[in-house]
Amino acid sequence: MVVAEAADGGEAIELANEHMPDVVLMDLQLSTVSGVEATRRIAEDAPAIKIMVLSATGEEADVLEAVKAGAAGYILKSESGGDIVDAVRRVHAGEPVFTSGLAGLVLSEFRRVAGKEAGEPGLTQRENEILRLVAKGYTYREIAEKLFISMKTVQNHVQNILTKLRLRKRYELMRYAIQKGLDRGPD
Amino acid sequence: MARTRGPVASEAEPGMRGLWLGILVFRWATFAWMAIAAATRWHTFRRPGLALAAVLITGAWNAWFSLTWGWRRPRARWVDLAIAIALLPVSGLVMAEGAISRELFFATAYPASAALTMGAGAGLAGLLAGAALSVGLVFSRLANGLAPGDLIADWANLVNGSVYYLAAAAATGVVRRVLVTSAAERADALEEAARQRDRAVRLAERDALSREIHDSVLQALALVGKKGKELANLPSVPPEELRELIDLTARQERALRTLLSEPPGEPPEGMMAVKAALDEAASGIRGVPVTVTSVGLTWMPTGTMSEVARAVHEALENVVEHAQATRATVFAEEVDRQLVISVRDDGVGFTYDEERLARDGKLGLLKSMKGRVEGLRGAMAVHTAEGRGTEVEFRLPMEEVTSGHGRERSRGGAERRADQGSRSRRPPRVARRDTV
Repeated sequence: MVVAEAADGGEAIELANEHMPDVVLMDLQLSTVSGVEATRRIAEDAPAIKIMVLSATGEEADVLEAVKAGAAGYILKSESGGDIVDAVRRVHAGEPVFTSGLAGLVLSEFRRVAGKEAGEPGLTQRENEILRLVAKGYTYREIAEKLFISMKTVQNHVQNILTKLRLRKRYELMRYAIQKGLDRGPD
Repeated sequence: MARTRGPVASEAEPGMRGLWLGILVFRWATFAWMAIAAATRWHTFRRPGLALAAVLITGAWNAWFSLTWGWRRPRARWVDLAIAIALLPVSGLVMAEGAISRELFFATAYPASAALTMGAGAGLAGLLAGAALSVGLVFSRLANGLAPGDLIADWANLVNGSVYYLAAAAATGVVRRVLVTSAAERADALEEAARQRDRAVRLAERDALSREIHDSVLQALALVGKKGKELANLPSVPPEELRELIDLTARQERALRTLLSEPPGEPPEGMMAVKAALDEAASGIRGVPVTVTSVGLTWMPTGTMSEVARAVHEALENVVEHAQATRATVFAEEVDRQLVISVRDDGVGFTYDEERLARDGKLGLLKSMKGRVEGLRGAMAVHTAEGRGTEVEFRLPMEEVTSGHGRERSRGGAERRADQGSRSRRPPRVARRDTV
């Protein structure tokens, strides 16, 4: 049931706080406040709300940023209405909606800094494997069959991956802050 | 931020050499003067034997020091200072009693060269050498027989001497510091200039690329508009025309996206971007939506990549023809120096029975793909089962890229020679994997 519609990012944040919906469909292309920023604010203010990002192509860097900021997944605007409703239901049920394009982006993200700094959350072998299968186009059910594990296990792994992705964001911010601090040292 | 510690930067060498040469001249000039002055006043010395020994030792040391470039070695500099300090009380012993404040100093100005040398070699730490020499000056008076009370009367000479030694050390110390600092700054400035130049080049390249795409996109959009108007005037719109229009728009969108999302890095000569080639291979496919995903941005030799792209295209055609799938995914990544591309569909799958496939006429594309990939020293694997969809995997060695030769094996000599030509013109680059 649709409880509210917002025309821009700022309105989205307000309405989310007011109505506390179960699921928010967030367009990335928004005015005033960007989709990524709105996602971040709503996720902070009301972590119980599940945010799903609507993307035109699925390959913008913003999609990855939105997931890092707290989105549960994304879906292409070009998908059929039935698929979108299905995805909304799955997000509501707590399943992360992970598509192959996003899996590719996430893999790249983790590879980019693999092993560079101690303490940075990296992916386990199993998580890497699962992510790769998602990137190749396998559904969660197919992955479960292929690896001889349960669907629930697959979903747990994916959830862990998303959590690690969000943790990475914090590390990135920390690193950035430290760098800035050092630059301002005595010269 | 300039680097002022550590060994003298090599960029400071020319300046330093000039400084050392100047000090060398001073050393020999003062030594010559010391020797000549001693020779003319021989009869006034209390201990002529000691004077001779002092002159000979000093001369020998100076010669050795100059020939072996002792100024570079801290230990040699210390010995040099010790000798200079020793010369001061020796002067007092050599000269007639009480004559030290009236007559020409035995060691003349030679001891100052130790101060100059220390300053140039150790920077402002050379001031300590100047201080030590100043103390030595006091001992020269004492060795000459002056009572401590007389020292007060001679204060002007002592202060003069001390200031002289300290100033000498400070002068060369400052010069050294200036040379080192400016050399470091120059090096930094050159580095920064090179960086700016690189950045400017890359931005210019990106501008050129964006203009190119911009122009072609504008033209394509104009075409879309025109076509759209024509179709709007028809009583019924043939779906094929519409699909072509959509495809055209999608291609422009991809081109724009490529520009916006990829960093301004052009593949080196003879290479092409893997992702771009796969996008192209997937673009002509109708009937099944295709997603192309890649991990990392990598380059491959153009010839090789075109063949691979054709194989991928054939795999997708296979999907359209036989698989009855709802979607297909192309996934490319670099694993253990290999480029691994998988084409997966969620269709009906099949049993890989060569005979039966041959009979049903479904073997053609598979054989063609296999041939192409094996011709590139790669391998193809098919994972499939009834009802479980199909995955076709291509593996290609990437050693040529990482070792940077970019040489093609599947082509004839002419192209190989051309590649070697391009190799000598520009240093080949390693495959980049740090960006999406």
